[in-house]
Amino acid sequence: MLRMAAAIKKKAKAKKNVPLKKKIVRKSATKKSLAKKKVSKKSAAKKISRRKSTVKAKRKPTTSHTFPRKYAFAFSVNGDRVETESPAHTSLLYLLRDLGFTEVKNGCEAGDCGACTILLDGVAMNACCALGIQADGRDLTTVKGIGTVENLHPIQEKFIEHGGIQCGFCTPGMIVAAKALLDDNPTPSREEIKIGIAGNLCRCTGYVKIIDAIEAAAIELASR
Amino acid sequence: MPDLRHDHSGKIQIVIDLMRIKTLGGISASGGTVKLGALVTVTDLLENKKLAREAPILRDMAVKFAGPIIRNRATVAGNIIDGGPAADIVPPLLALKASVKMTGPKGRRTVSLDKFLTGYRQTAIKVGEIITEIVFPSPGKNHLHGYYKLARRNAMAITVVGAAIVLKMKGKTCQDAGISLGSVAPTPIRCYEAEKLLIGNKITPDLAQNVAEACAAVATPIDDIRASGEYRKLMCEVLPRRLICQAAGISIDPTS
Repeated sequence: MLRMAAAIKKKAKAKKNVPLKKKIVRKSATKKSLAKKKVSKKSAAKKISRRKSTVKAKRKPTTSHTFPRKYAFAFSVNGDRVETESPAHTSLLYLLRDLGFTEVKNGCEAGDCGACTILLDGVAMNACCALGIQADGRDLTTVKGIGTVENLHPIQEKFIEHGGIQCGFCTPGMIVAAKALLDDNPTPSREEIKIGIAGNLCRCTGYVKIIDAIEAAAIELASR
Repeated sequence: MPDLRHDHSGKIQIVIDLMRIKTLGGISASGGTVKLGALVTVTDLLENKKLAREAPILRDMAVKFAGPIIRNRATVAGNIIDGGPAADIVPPLLALKASVKMTGPKGRRTVSLDKFLTGYRQTAIKVGEIITEIVFPSPGKNHLHGYYKLARRNAMAITVVGAAIVLKMKGKTCQDAGISLGSVAPTPIRCYEAEKLLIGNKITPDLAQNVAEACAAVATPIDDIRASGEYRKLMCEVLPRRLICQAAGISIDPTS
């Protein structure tokens, strides 16, 4: 009560000081009471206190778990352990990008484009089609786990050699999908490569150079 | 999952992840019944050898289902519970006469798949219930089957018309038949009248034509960006006829 009254006094003092006035408005959340210039201090204070108390009463049951509730969990990305907190409904794609793994691209968020392809325990999947919390305790691999700029994976080398990259947006997903394909089938035919990357859209290359690159990478990997 | 993402209103407050309940997974076939756990993925349908023997139609469907990375994630139960008219897993399961097993606070129950799908994106599942299993009678070694997904691309496409047939044969006579169509009604549908025409008869080109017409009669397709209703209606006749003739080894005019 006392604080309320003090706030109103301040408000009265700071009538000409516009930025301060704004601040107070936000604090006491009583735009209407400000508009009414002739309201006595006492009644205004009463009003505010009543309003505050009702708000408090409403909030009380939800204080135990406010929505969105955050859950703590941990998983590994490219071999590094990641501990995080996230609401249950956050997609794995959003979670990874918010954690700085922006090599996982956000293309469609509906499982149509494959730009967010990652490996979950070695199985290729769309990060947008899983919840972040489902990664708890799992091993994730993004394109950076397959090869880095200093240490390129043969698939990445061949993508560069054959011009399998134009704008590059599909490339992280495409390389992860190619890795999953070659892990499963080290000597795919061109048709099998097409089927293997069927979930990954590319709007630049027309796929021919991507298929060339994966074919060359398969030969390269087999010769090692 | 995409529904969850589109829901920004906060309506969905509790999410329960079932993906790690081991007893909900697995494919088994014994005593003439095939059981698919709720968490069986489409990749499992594609690679499971037991299923390739028992119900190869599911493999035929799985090859056409979206793309490999979606297949790794998509589950049979998920495709059913979504209740979409273009759900690709549903027509083969309808043709196999599958049932859905559910469990909830009021106990377990089993509903046949065609009764489970009650309307456009609506199912018979009640609050608190989960799908535990999809079961269907094994169609036997000598059954004939066929699945056709008509779509605008080979991969990652939404079905324009899907058709599935499963025919149990004794010699050249059809003993039991399951025919279903997808994407031509608010839910995938079973063509009961067409099935009745087949049962107890030898398959001839004329019968195939009659059956196909009976299939088209129950379809109520709509126009959308993928195809017109008129075209879909026509395909509801063409596809079942083609599948029946192919399955029965009747040579047909490839243009029909």
